[in-house]
Amino acid sequence: MKEEQNPYLPPRIRRWLSRWTTLEDIERSLVDEPSGGVEAWTRTTAGVVAMLVVVQAVTGVLLAFYYVPSAESAHTTVAYIEKMVPAGSWLRAMHHYGSQWLTLFLVLHLAQMFWREGYKRRPIGWMSTVLLLGLVLAGGATGYSLPWDARAFFGTRVTEGIAGGLPLIGAASRNWLLGGLEITPITLARFFALHVLVVPALILLILTARLFVFRERGMVSDAEERRLEGWMFGQVARNAVVAGLVFLALSLWAAKFHAPLGPAADTAAPGYLPRPGAQFLWLFQLLKYLPGRLASTVAVALPTLIFIGLASLPFLNPPPLRKMMAKPRRNIGVALFVLGFALFTTMTMIAYVEDARDPRVRDQLARQSKEEEAFRIAPFSPLRTRTSESNIEDELIDTGEEPAASPTPSGSPTPNASPSPGGSPSPSTTPGRSSTSPPDSYITNCSGCHGTRGQGVFPFPRLIGVSAKPRRSVEDLVGIINNPAAYDLQPTMPGFATKISDAEKQEIAVWVAALKKR
Amino acid sequence: MPDPGRRNFLLLIPLGIFAGVAATIVGAAFRFLRPSDARSEAKWSNVAPLAQLKGEKPIMRSIIAEHQAGWASTVEEHFVYVLPSKNNQVLSSVCPHEGCNVSWRDEESEFFCPCHDSYFAADGSRTRGPSRRGLDPLPTREKDGVLQVQYQTFINNTEERIARG
Repeated sequence: MKEEQNPYLPPRIRRWLSRWTTLEDIERSLVDEPSGGVEAWTRTTAGVVAMLVVVQAVTGVLLAFYYVPSAESAHTTVAYIEKMVPAGSWLRAMHHYGSQWLTLFLVLHLAQMFWREGYKRRPIGWMSTVLLLGLVLAGGATGYSLPWDARAFFGTRVTEGIAGGLPLIGAASRNWLLGGLEITPITLARFFALHVLVVPALILLILTARLFVFRERGMVSDAEERRLEGWMFGQVARNAVVAGLVFLALSLWAAKFHAPLGPAADTAAPGYLPRPGAQFLWLFQLLKYLPGRLASTVAVALPTLIFIGLASLPFLNPPPLRKMMAKPRRNIGVALFVLGFALFTTMTMIAYVEDARDPRVRDQLARQSKEEEAFRIAPFSPLRTRTSESNIEDELIDTGEEPAASPTPSGSPTPNASPSPGGSPSPSTTPGRSSTSPPDSYITNCSGCHGTRGQGVFPFPRLIGVSAKPRRSVEDLVGIINNPAAYDLQPTMPGFATKISDAEKQEIAVWVAALKKR
Repeated sequence: MPDPGRRNFLLLIPLGIFAGVAATIVGAAFRFLRPSDARSEAKWSNVAPLAQLKGEKPIMRSIIAEHQAGWASTVEEHFVYVLPSKNNQVLSSVCPHEGCNVSWRDEESEFFCPCHDSYFAADGSRTRGPSRRGLDPLPTREKDGVLQVQYQTFINNTEERIARG
């Protein structure tokens, strides 16, 4: 039997693999029960789902190389990916539309599993697939917030509202999700962590379990196993063909349609009309028909019921139900599936039709997409950071000099640097004139790293206010100058024991200790 | 059971498709992650009015330069030395050895880097110590009576002067 396995690998490699890996067992466990004809082609949704999950993972990891999840940077970095990075727009569109296609193909996968009564034959496999669909939707909902544009803001509002609609724990779960009472930078960080760490980890866990753990243990004869193996090769090829075609279609789609990105959230016009991603349109439309308080409850309850109902399908076979209906699992399953599918498709379609028919909505949506288009073709505008600039402002405050009071020898500021930095008077022209000016020996030995006024030059520390810290008295400062190693400094500092006279050390230490924030 | 020839063919299809998908993604990933070699447009920073640049000794000045990299544009403070005796040549205060800031010592009339004890003459040329080249001159121009400089940095610890972006 061993000889007949893997005839396409050289025997030496085959023997080595079978000795040192469990690949053979895995391969055997992956063999599914055979079916033939047209049905085999309908059973290729698993391959498409697997391909789309991998595409989501890879494009997501790639986007993380540029994306920064902070309220200041999120929108700018997404715009940078979209406008500046080669292939960035395509990869982001792959990730954006890929998540919607993944939802669609998971639903199709569930439908075909349902059709073959997979919930009966492989209950755990069925439940894990239902769970996977829930996680993919959660991934979509959390990912929607990350670009931090107007669309993301309102998407977050809706997610928050749905969480708030949970019975009993509504308010608490909303606040835990937001990290407070409002949508703040904390919210963005939470959605980011959920989107890139929690949800993918759970998806990976479920997929791994689905492929390698949640399998039925069956005894098959050798002849049967060979037959299965032969069938599997055909089926792998079918899956690959369909997955390849779907990938090609998604690539072309992503090349043609950009993932949406509007101007930053704070520039949203008052009349902004938010629209969720395609996979959530049905829920969005449903909310329109439900009055206020009921809406958020139903918006949570209905999908939850559908999910729980689907997931528990394998167990819906108790005697009382069996008495009432001939085939309880099948009947309940059909009802749930029809309800879910009808809800999903009709609501999605109505959402599109309504938006197209109401002239005001249509105009507003057209305006918004025009705005998005204008933003997309506008040149990238970088994030302006002011770290060093604020250092310069501190410098003016710390020395008690007003920018206007001291002549600015460095002339007018550069066009984009405002406010105007007062140029520090050159050490060689104004040595030690006032009590706030540093000693000459400080300028010579220390200013290169700590700045002419103790403001620090990155990565070396500021000295302003340093005397407030422990072990930084005047004596300690002299000690640091003599033997910095004893003070465990980071970054390290060279010693100046022999480079500066004792009087100068004392003078420097006194001056540094006097540097205080006003 | 299919014969081995058909099996090999059936194996080729998925492998070919995987290769195609992988090549598409890897190609995009390569373009996406390739380090940018775009140099940010050099901007001119004011150093000082020409009238103030007199004497024999190098004059230390702080300049404000805007540096654009990736999605951020950062306003930074840097230190430069102006050499009035050398036709207002401007030297970066960054030591070419490992990037500390050098300081001017009046008594010895030389530049000194306190980190690893590199010494440079008053014109910026290397005299002794571990540095492998002299202090780095920066491009300058005069505009409306003000000396301006294009701030840039160079690769550390090389004999040749290689500008960074």
